[in-house]
Amino acid sequence: MTVFMFVFKRFFRKKANSLSLLFFPLAALFLPTGEWPPMPLGFQYYSIIILFLASRLAGIIMEDRANRTLLRLSVAPISHLQYLWQNMLAYSVILTGLNLVFVIAGAVFHGSSMPSPVQLFIIYTVFSMTSLGFSLAWYSLFRNTEAAYNILGGVIILMAMLGGVMWPVENMPDALQRPVMLLPTYWVAEATTLVSFREPAVDLIIPMIVLLLFCFAFLLLGSRRKLS
Amino acid sequence: MTVIHVENIVKRYGNHIALDHVDFAINEGEILGLLGPNGAGKTTLIHALTGIIRFDSGRIHVFEKNLVQHLVDIKSQIGLVTQEITIFHDLTAKENLQFFGRIYGLRGATLKERVEATLALVGLAGHASKLPSKFSGGMQRRLNIACALVHQPRLLIMDEPTVGIDAQSRNYILDTIRKLNKQGTTILYTTHYIEEVQSLAKRVVIMDEGHIIADGTVEELVSKIHHEEKIKLEIEDPSETMLKKLRRIEGIKQVGLIGKEVHIISQAGAGNLDRVLAIAREFGKIYSVEAEKPSLEDVFLTLTGKRLRDAEEE
Repeated sequence: MTVFMFVFKRFFRKKANSLSLLFFPLAALFLPTGEWPPMPLGFQYYSIIILFLASRLAGIIMEDRANRTLLRLSVAPISHLQYLWQNMLAYSVILTGLNLVFVIAGAVFHGSSMPSPVQLFIIYTVFSMTSLGFSLAWYSLFRNTEAAYNILGGVIILMAMLGGVMWPVENMPDALQRPVMLLPTYWVAEATTLVSFREPAVDLIIPMIVLLLFCFAFLLLGSRRKLS
Repeated sequence: MTVIHVENIVKRYGNHIALDHVDFAINEGEILGLLGPNGAGKTTLIHALTGIIRFDSGRIHVFEKNLVQHLVDIKSQIGLVTQEITIFHDLTAKENLQFFGRIYGLRGATLKERVEATLALVGLAGHASKLPSKFSGGMQRRLNIACALVHQPRLLIMDEPTVGIDAQSRNYILDTIRKLNKQGTTILYTTHYIEEVQSLAKRVVIMDEGHIIADGTVEELVSKIHHEEKIKLEIEDPSETMLKKLRRIEGIKQVGLIGKEVHIISQAGAGNLDRVLAIAREFGKIYSVEAEKPSLEDVFLTLTGKRLRDAEEE
C-alpha cells in the first residue's frame, strides 16, 4: 500500500490543495435556500466542488505520467493496475472523508431545512467515484498537463450547466433535454433534486446505478493509458 | 554467471524494425558500455530488457531466468536509471527513496538503513529533507540514480545518466558507478559521451539501426579498424641519416621533416613509439613527443559513419 500512503503526503504537501478542500465546501455551506431545488443551494452545488476536487486529486496521476515517473514505476515490481487502484483508493478516502464532514457540518448549520443527510452522503460518495473516474479518463486524453487542467475547468462548468446542477433541465431547449442524460452531472442533479423533494429513497436507485456505470466506463477508459 | 543473455530479439513498430535480431550477453560484475546514434535502438533494447515493452521474437534471459516467465522476480533485482529525471518532485529526497524502497519490499530498520546509505553514496545525506525543486541539475540527477539503487539491485541499467550536468557532478556519478561495480553490481551503461564509456566500461557494444555492429573490449574494437598512428617529435638536430633510420623500422609508412619537427605515420598496433624514440635520442635532445592513437570515437565513426554527439543531436 505504498502508493496509497504516499498520495496523502503528496496531495497535502501543496497548500493550495488543503485550502481547496477547506474553502470551497465551507463556502458552499453558507449558500442560502433557493426556490429550486427546495434545500440550501450548497447541497446542490457541492457536486461541482466534488468534480473540481477530483480533478485536482487525479492530477497526481497526470503529473506522474508527464514527469515520466510512471516509467520508473513500470520497471518496479508493481503493476500499473496496483498503482492505479491504490491512487484511486486514496483519492476516494479523501473525498469520502470530506463528504462526511460536509454533510455533518451541513446538518449542524442548516438543521431541519437540510434533507436526508444519509442520502446526500451516499449520493456525494457515489458521485465522487464517478468524478475521479471522469478525471482519470480526461487526463488519459492529454499529453500536456497544462492543457488538460485548463480545458477541464471549462468542461466541468459546462457539464454542470447542461446537466441541471445550476438550473432545472426543463428550463433548457427540448432538443437538449434528452442528450444531457449522457452527462453524469444530470444524474447527480436528478438524485439531489429527488432528495430535496424528500422523495422515497428507492427512487435514488436508478441515478446511483447510472453514476456507477459512468464510473466503471470512465475507469476503463482512463486506465488504458500507461506511459506516454 | 551470465546476467543478461539476449538471443535474436526482434521488435517492430509497424514497418520499422527497432531491434533486428539483436544478440549479446553481459557477465556478472561487468560494466558494459552501450553506444549508438539516435534511433539506433538503445532505449528500445533497454525497455525490452526491463519488461516495459514486449518484443516480437527472440528470447531474453536475465539472471539465467526467462524474462517473460519470471518478470516480477527479475524486476525486483534490476535498477533503471532513466534518461529523464523520474523522481517525485513533491516528495523530499528521503521520501523519494523511502517510496521506492517500499515498492521493492524494504521495511523498518532495513529501509531506514538503505535510505541513509544510498543518500550518503550519492552525496545527498545533508539534503535528505529537501524537495528536489531546491536541488541543482546535478543533485537531481544523483537523486534519480539513488532511486534506482535503494533496493541494492544486482543489475543496474543506466540510460544516459549524466546528460546536461556539470563536470563535478559527472565525476561524482562516475565514481559512484565504479564503487557500485566494485561491490559486485553489474552495469549496463548508455551515454552520449564516449570518454565516459572509455573510462568506465571494459566492454562496449555499438548499435546502429537496430543491429549490433560491434561488440568487444575497447582495445579489440580499436584494433579492428585499421587506423594509422601518428607520431610527432620535436628534436634538437634532425638529420637525413636519422630519417633514413626511422624509415627502416618495420611498420613505418611515412617519415617527413618540417623544421625541427619529425612527422611519422606508423601502422596501428605496430608498437613503434619506443623504437622511434630510441633512434631519435641518438641525434640529440627530444623537446616534445606527441602520439595519436585511434580512439573509440574513431571506431564509432568508422562503423556508423557518424560522430556520436553529432548523431545524437540530429
